[in-house]
Amino acid sequence: MKEISRRSFLKGTAATGAALGLSGSFYNFLFSGLEPAQASDETGIQKFQNACPRNCYDTCSILSTVENGILTKVEGNPQNTFTRGRLCAKGYTYTRRVYSPDRIKYPMRQNGRGSGNWERISWDEAYTLIAKNILKIKKEYGSTLPICLNKYSGNFDIMHYGIEGMLSSFGNTSRATGTPCWPAGIDSQTFDMGTIVNNDPEDLVNSKYLILWGVNPAWTSVHSMYFVQEAQRRGCKIVAIDPVLTQTASKADLYLQIKPSTDGALALGMARYILDHNLIDAKWLMNNALGYNEFFDYLKNNITTDWAAEKTGLPKNVIETLAREYATAKPANIWIGYGMQRHANGGQNVRAIDALAAITGNIGKSGGGAQYAHLETWGFNYHAMVQNKPAGSAGSGDRAININNFGAEVLAAKEPPIKMLWIACRNPMSQDPETSVVKKAFEAMDFVVTADQFFNPSVAMSDIVLPVTTIFETWGVNVSYWHYWLCLNQQAIKPMYESKNDIQIAMELSKKMNELEPGSCTFPTSGDLKDWVGKEFNTGIYNQFGISDWKELEKGPVKTKAGHVAWQDGKFRTSSGKYEIWSEEAKKFGHLPLPVYREELKPANEYPYRCISPHWKLNIHSQFQNLDWMQAINNAPFIEIHPETAQKMGIQEKDNVKMYNDLGYIVLPAKITETVAQDIVVVYEAWYKDKNFNVNYTVKALPADMGKKATGMPGMAFHDNFVNIAKV
Amino acid sequence: MGFLVDAERCIGCHACEMACKNEYQSEPNVRWRKVYPINETEYSLPERNHLSLACNHCEKPECLRVCPVRAYTKREDGIVIHDQGRCIGCKMCAMACPYEVPQYNVRLKKMEKCNLCDGRLDQGLKTACEAACPVEALSVIDFNGFTKYGFVIALPGFPDPSITKPTTRFIKPRIGAQVRRDQ
Repeated sequence: MKEISRRSFLKGTAATGAALGLSGSFYNFLFSGLEPAQASDETGIQKFQNACPRNCYDTCSILSTVENGILTKVEGNPQNTFTRGRLCAKGYTYTRRVYSPDRIKYPMRQNGRGSGNWERISWDEAYTLIAKNILKIKKEYGSTLPICLNKYSGNFDIMHYGIEGMLSSFGNTSRATGTPCWPAGIDSQTFDMGTIVNNDPEDLVNSKYLILWGVNPAWTSVHSMYFVQEAQRRGCKIVAIDPVLTQTASKADLYLQIKPSTDGALALGMARYILDHNLIDAKWLMNNALGYNEFFDYLKNNITTDWAAEKTGLPKNVIETLAREYATAKPANIWIGYGMQRHANGGQNVRAIDALAAITGNIGKSGGGAQYAHLETWGFNYHAMVQNKPAGSAGSGDRAININNFGAEVLAAKEPPIKMLWIACRNPMSQDPETSVVKKAFEAMDFVVTADQFFNPSVAMSDIVLPVTTIFETWGVNVSYWHYWLCLNQQAIKPMYESKNDIQIAMELSKKMNELEPGSCTFPTSGDLKDWVGKEFNTGIYNQFGISDWKELEKGPVKTKAGHVAWQDGKFRTSSGKYEIWSEEAKKFGHLPLPVYREELKPANEYPYRCISPHWKLNIHSQFQNLDWMQAINNAPFIEIHPETAQKMGIQEKDNVKMYNDLGYIVLPAKITETVAQDIVVVYEAWYKDKNFNVNYTVKALPADMGKKATGMPGMAFHDNFVNIAKV
Repeated sequence: MGFLVDAERCIGCHACEMACKNEYQSEPNVRWRKVYPINETEYSLPERNHLSLACNHCEKPECLRVCPVRAYTKREDGIVIHDQGRCIGCKMCAMACPYEVPQYNVRLKKMEKCNLCDGRLDQGLKTACEAACPVEALSVIDFNGFTKYGFVIALPGFPDPSITKPTTRFIKPRIGAQVRRDQ
């Protein structure tokens, strides 16, 4: 990996005519590289519409400035009333990403997986190697099922689903299925309401009471934070419930430090109080809900606020006050975060919180609701994704491999075994649980291809790496799972080096496969990427957004015309059409039909601390923390420990601490802070360039209780990670 | 003119700092604006509070006083401008500034700092940092016009303002109620 030198970076840039004679870096090209007159030459300035495609609530609308073919600046597009002309710390680093000397510049082959012994090859050589491997596997095993795709959320642009399309065009294949992110909560709301729908986040300002429950928008949705604070300024009380005193909790009127994974107990204790004090909205329940009598019987027979206090670690009077305030403020809103459902009982906890919103009649109201996420604006054609399998493809369909236990399931796959991986928009070596097992799976392969922009740990375990374009170098279209805007992504600059869009890679690989074996791949062998954007649209999308042609998006992003208050029409998408507190559908998936409490996992004696590994503010998973501007702010992971715990363990600030369990260990400097509880340590998940850091070495592939219905696989209990710590 | 930093709104997200770097495409280790965490023991309850600081455009700028080549000027509106063309990179200003504002650009062998987006202000635009702040915690205020009420001249961690009389003003963070398990 280290062989990728600055010199070769410059060689690459010279080929694009963008190097400008700088010695070894791209900094300050405005000041020193260009002649001043040239730099301020207005005629060479162009603006483009771009969309941030990362796995993030905010999906920002970007305006990019291009001067003489060089991306010189990115700004928020003020037309988007949710992102309000602003980006985040990550978004503002995009020029550094595009022009990073660390980018993968051309196809490369590694002689010895993990060796770092990379050599540059041509695209034609890469396609030939890949096509021959695919065809060889097909011949040897009689199907393409030994080929496994692991692609997920590195780029949520709609066209990028063409990567799945590429695999379909080979035949039946194995697929990493499910999502590590949010599936337990999706199933919960699917059982309760039929699917996930959230109010427009701009509607947060209409709340009179807002519970931010296991969510940290100050780090993960900065644009939502404006609306949260605006609600606060208009008199809304903000309550944050979280095992960690997050940045968001620091801005709340009230912070409740709950014991992790006991959120359901708090919700049920509140529900019991609300029931006992006749604060329920009986009329709403009668008109809109099923199973509330059974739920109330369960509360009466099984739940007390004393029990809830014992479970959650919150005093009984606090729970009762919270319940009363929540139930009497109208409208009252709850934002349910993804962090709190990454537990073995996460789905059941979300159902209990949903039930709170239902029994108080807050569902379907502006300023109310139980916000989680939505997929209402995602009704594209998936033209790039839907590809026919070649005629006579062997096998009855694709084979699902659990994305949340990827390493073990890849190794265990039989008849046929998995022999080849295609990795795109993902870095499983850093982000998946049980890192050591994932590594073994990579090692067991005959052939691994990764398409990416940087030499991350998954690339390091690949045979072939293919350089892919950034958003500024290609076309795309983006919507959000949180706000209701639609944004075009225009190509603003020429692709750097030899990078290509994943769909272009699919087209050219298809051409090669068909040369070697006609009919072996159905993916189109040519096409214009801008035209392919257009092929994703349909009248449903046009009507929803009030446009008649997708090219109107060249003038700026647009927002849906209606549907900004979830369930306002009272038409739930359950089989009964009602809010189902009693869910027969949940029963079918092996759950109890009511949102009853499911016991949380507790630490064992040897591993008395729970490690929570939330998002960090300077990255999104494996992206952005590797860029030099981020490194200048922070370039070192750390472990957060409560002062009393640190004292007990003889740990001082910055001491190296080994965090370990039976799966593995990591060593990190201590940060002593009262933002964590005594029985909790916090390590923010991230990929740091050139650092052997990965919090997932100790994380077991332990499923969350729900996720199978909506996403095909249960979620992942990332925060049920029990460890011990020692000073080293 | 000076910055008003609302520590009650600020979420320490670094968008201001990155927007500054994006605007000027600055060197990785040259940070005209920096977001500093306020030590959590400074207030009655531990919280994550921050100071977002750039040049304080002082009333009595030490940088200007010590610079041997007069690279610093103070405009009538109060903005302290550093002229990189005159700068010889002697670092006297860095040593004199109590706020570690002027920074050395290793490649250019000169100092640099926040000029309060003078070019943008002159075009009627907001500073890059103010325009970027997602929660509107940063603003540029007319130092002569504003009331002293509601604002403070320092927050914990901000060096003694008496030496150079910075124009930066702050709104204090509000400490919310906490129910904690270690109480």
